Amino acid sequence: MTKDKLSYKLTRIIKSALAAAALPVFIIYIMVAKPDYTIMNALAHVILPVAHGVGDVITWPVRAIGDGAHWVKEMSVLRKENKVLRAKLDDALANKYKCDVAIEENKKLENELDIKQASPYKTIIADIQFDDSVFHHNTFLINRGKKAGVNKGMVVVSFENRLVGVVLDCGSQFCRVRALTDADMKIAVRITGSDISGFLQGNGKSGASIGFFNDTQFVGRKGLKVITSNISGVLPSGIYVGEMKDEKRVDVIKPNNISRVMVLQFDDQGSYK
Amino acid sequence: MHNAISIFKKYLPFLMTLFLWRLSVYFWNPAGILALIPIFYYTFVRPISGFAIFGLIFCFLIDYRCNLPLFWTCIYCLFYAIIGFQNYVDMQHTNNNASHVFMLFVGSGILLLIFSGLTWANLINNIWLFVWLNVLYTPITALDNWIKP
Repeated sequence: MTKDKLSYKLTRIIKSALAAAALPVFIIYIMVAKPDYTIMNALAHVILPVAHGVGDVITWPVRAIGDGAHWVKEMSVLRKENKVLRAKLDDALANKYKCDVAIEENKKLENELDIKQASPYKTIIADIQFDDSVFHHNTFLINRGKKAGVNKGMVVVSFENRLVGVVLDCGSQFCRVRALTDADMKIAVRITGSDISGFLQGNGKSGASIGFFNDTQFVGRKGLKVITSNISGVLPSGIYVGEMKDEKRVDVIKPNNISRVMVLQFDDQGSYK
Repeated sequence: MHNAISIFKKYLPFLMTLFLWRLSVYFWNPAGILALIPIFYYTFVRPISGFAIFGLIFCFLIDYRCNLPLFWTCIYCLFYAIIGFQNYVDMQHTNNNASHVFMLFVGSGILLLIFSGLTWANLINNIWLFVWLNVLYTPITALDNWIKP
């Protein structure tokens, strides 16, 4: 079809008109469907696995080379890492008895004060497939989904029991998790050893910050530990979030630093609301 | 063998898009954002029949993984409409494979994202992504000219 032909010009105008017509439809959908985006997510649950499957087939040589290089790199640092881990293990063992005593004392105090902590009845181990930290949105995909019992709103923690994120959307074989550093992440937290509560918000690449304290006189400082508080009823209380770096910033775990996580399933089928 | 090469050449745009989207890695290709290069190139500069729908799907997938609901999809539709309605710039005969229009395409999106989450770290990261996308635009589009002389 030559460019001068009327049919070519007509087709081009029709296609452009269709694209222009799709725009308001998309914009209205974004406004109406917020925050669940049910149709969009349902569509992604079908398209994403298909695209992944085909992508896996055509990219396997590149990924095999990448995995090989990664394996060689890991092997080369194994001896050094072993030394570091031994030192850490010695430190941990030295503190173990103190921790055991503190845990028992804590249990006793909780019973006396009638505090009920939510504790997970099931953990699902998952690998991080993709770290999609881009712009100010930090989400990542894990390789467990509804089939493994993961549901929207569940808590994702690292193997050190540090909060990593919350399940945002769940397909049958995969889940999208919103990391603590995501700009849309807002959770209620508490400073350990005090009644001071506040809200933690992600800042994208720069981590997370804490604010809106219930005590307006309170000024944060380096070293204070932050845990979830369950004020808003979204997350169970007592999950370790991170340590404060200064007055506002909190050192939270970033998905690119870990490769495996645990999804915690609490009572009421993981729903905290 | 000849048939295999011709099939490869025919499906190169689709494979390239899928390849770049699937090989997403932290920092260098987050959420497969580099796939925007073949999406733009094979939709506007060297248009291929049926690629627009494919491009739309991959914009949607990039958005899904970036947690930006239909953001790049909307920008793609907007540019599709603007470029289709105008006859001032002939995209297929522009210098440097219309790299300046690609800059506008990516830049407008990134600029909106800069203002929606304004911090120094995000600003630097977004500038890096803009530069990286534009730097890679030339070699990736040159690859097409090299394979399909």
